Amino acid sequence: MHEIAFKPLLRQAGLIVLGALILLWTLLPLYHMVILSLTPVGEGFAGKLWPDAPTLDNYRIVLTQDNYYLSRFWLQLGNSVLVAFTSCVFVFALSLTASFAITRLRPRFAGFASHMALITYLVPATFLAIPFYQVMGSYGLLGSRWALIITIATFATPYAIWVLQQNAGSVPRELDEAAEIDGASPWQIFRLVYLPLMVPTIVAVGAFAVMLSWNEYLYAFLLLSDEDRITLPVMLGQFLSDDSAPWPLLMVSGVLYSLPPAILYFLARRYMATGLAAGSVKG
Amino acid sequence: MQQTLAKAPVHAPAESPVPTASSAPAKGQTLAKALSIRHLDKSYALGGGRRLPVVTDFNLDLAPGEFVTLLGPSGCGKTTVLRTLAGLEDFESGEILLDSLSIARLPAHHRKIGLVFQNYALFPHMSVFENVAYSLRLRRVAEATVRSEVASALAAVGLEDYGPRMPGQLSGGQQQRVAVARALVMHPDLLLFDEPLSNLDAKLRVQVRSELRRLQRRLGTTALFVTHDQDEAMSLSDRIAVMKSGRIEQVGAPEEIYARPATLFVAQFVGKVNALPATILDEANGQVEIEMLGTRLRAPSPATGLPRDVLALLRPEAVTLGGPDSGLPGIVEDIEFLGDLTEYGIRVGDTLVTSVRSALGDAWKIREGDRVGIGFKEQTIHLLPRTEAAV
Ligand SMILES: Nc1ncnc2c1ncn2[C@@H]1O[C@H](COP(=O)(O)OP(=O)(O)OP(=O)(O)O)[C@@H](O)[C@H]1O
Ligand SMILES: [Mg+2]
Repeated sequence: MHEIAFKPLLRQAGLIVLGALILLWTLLPLYHMVILSLTPVGEGFAGKLWPDAPTLDNYRIVLTQDNYYLSRFWLQLGNSVLVAFTSCVFVFALSLTASFAITRLRPRFAGFASHMALITYLVPATFLAIPFYQVMGSYGLLGSRWALIITIATFATPYAIWVLQQNAGSVPRELDEAAEIDGASPWQIFRLVYLPLMVPTIVAVGAFAVMLSWNEYLYAFLLLSDEDRITLPVMLGQFLSDDSAPWPLLMVSGVLYSLPPAILYFLARRYMATGLAAGSVKG
Repeated sequence: MQQTLAKAPVHAPAESPVPTASSAPAKGQTLAKALSIRHLDKSYALGGGRRLPVVTDFNLDLAPGEFVTLLGPSGCGKTTVLRTLAGLEDFESGEILLDSLSIARLPAHHRKIGLVFQNYALFPHMSVFENVAYSLRLRRVAEATVRSEVASALAAVGLEDYGPRMPGQLSGGQQQRVAVARALVMHPDLLLFDEPLSNLDAKLRVQVRSELRRLQRRLGTTALFVTHDQDEAMSLSDRIAVMKSGRIEQVGAPEEIYARPATLFVAQFVGKVNALPATILDEANGQVEIEMLGTRLRAPSPATGLPRDVLALLRPEAVTLGGPDSGLPGIVEDIEFLGDLTEYGIRVGDTLVTSVRSALGDAWKIREGDRVGIGFKEQTIHLLPRTEAAV
């Protein structure tokens, strides 16, 4: 009974080694970031595996905005949160209704609409920067955080629609029909059947939208200019344009900036587990 | 899309029995309603402008409180008929009447029709109570009424104590009963069942189906039940409507369908049958003289006129086996043990005749190659025209 098959074990060992290598590869930059964030500002690039005198003073400087570059740290972090949250709301509003309409109401142009959405991705987002700049300019939105929010929602929504559409199949149509016989309007079916049963996918889509917004640099840099309106990545980018910038402080900001998504991920993981729809129908 | 047949002829289908006393609802209950489906045509769009006709000139009448089964092979359009009745599908032409009131243009939730889905379609994120209460909640029924209505619907299916459970915590049979309770809570005029037992194991299926039947009798609600299982149809129904490729082949009481099938398809769909070529020689006094299996014999004459060349249908259990000197001589060609019964293939002349019987405790053990004599009661022979393409 306890005879261990050798081959699977070997394969597993191989996988573990491979996994360890990938993990190391991923963690190395993070390690550097953390180490640098603990290095006193003066020491800069000592190239050491562990700083001689690790200090948390850098964190104090950043959190109290005690530096020229970081004088608006909290405000800019707030901008990042605001933009991420609002874009996410936009993406939800558009993609949930669109995917519901395409998959459940099945209008005549449903197939066409879902294809059109993906065509957005035929052109790399980078190439659209100038057109977007122009469009926002002509709407008088340049410099406004709305410009960034609209842009991010534009890029995130098609993918969100596509993912939702793919997963809508896991909610059986009979549930809609049962609700219809019970007297539910399409809007009630949307709220009472579609939304609750799509929660795992909705969480995944939301995470995607938040990440896209959180990490957005190019458009934020292009569309926002005022110190009080830029998001944190744009501020971090300014470090790079200065030779004498305090790198450890940049690293501290980086560490702090990566915490919210990490926390969000662990919170969301509970809901991402599929299987909520399991047991609704048999066979 | 739909045409209303302004003056739909009110004709009962051939051989449709008048509602019997036994199928009428018991006293003190709301009056059950009659269902009439007239000349229903339904096709599905295939894309590119083509359409697949699925239901053609479908006519069926259900007496108030009657339990009728739609029986037919997979893909013949049973589900489509139910969905059309429930208001989930549009149709091209025809009329649907509940007590002579057209419901064809009403939206699904105004038809007062309860549908039990094959896969139950319970809302997995709502408790059993909320599943059943859903339609009442949508109609903004007062909370106290919701409680009492849901409680009585759950009680009707024997699940009083299961209200707080989630559907995922129920067995298949219990989920099925919740689905029935959900259909009952609206006090529907018509109950539709789409193969509601097909996901249950064989034993439970038999138990649940008799429960269902009792429940329907008690409530007196008119019911249309879809299945492709002839045993289910036979045991449940007041009448059976046998369907084939979107049309009704025959409507009748189970015994009638079994003993006097209208077509070879019906005969074969509801059980094994010997279809033996025969020739009519003479007809007199409600009997016909035929020649089959190399002999002459008399058979009951069917109502309709028949051509000379006919098929004589003979159920295997009506064929008896005896010693070589009794009846028509034949040779046992193959034997198949089925548990409760044993099936024998007997070569008579150049025809193979099937016979089944219980071989339990037989003193006489029949073996392949044995010479036997076969016999049957002539009244059990049912004649059909032979022109029909064999199925
Ligand atoms: N939405 C649809 N679009 C196109 N064709 C359909 C659609 N639904 C059903 N059909 C076709 O209509 C025919 C009848 O289908 P239906 O589901 O009514 O059969 P059924 O008798 O219920 O079969 P089963 O016993 O397998 O459930 C089938 O040929 C099926 O392929
Ligand atoms: Mg079906």
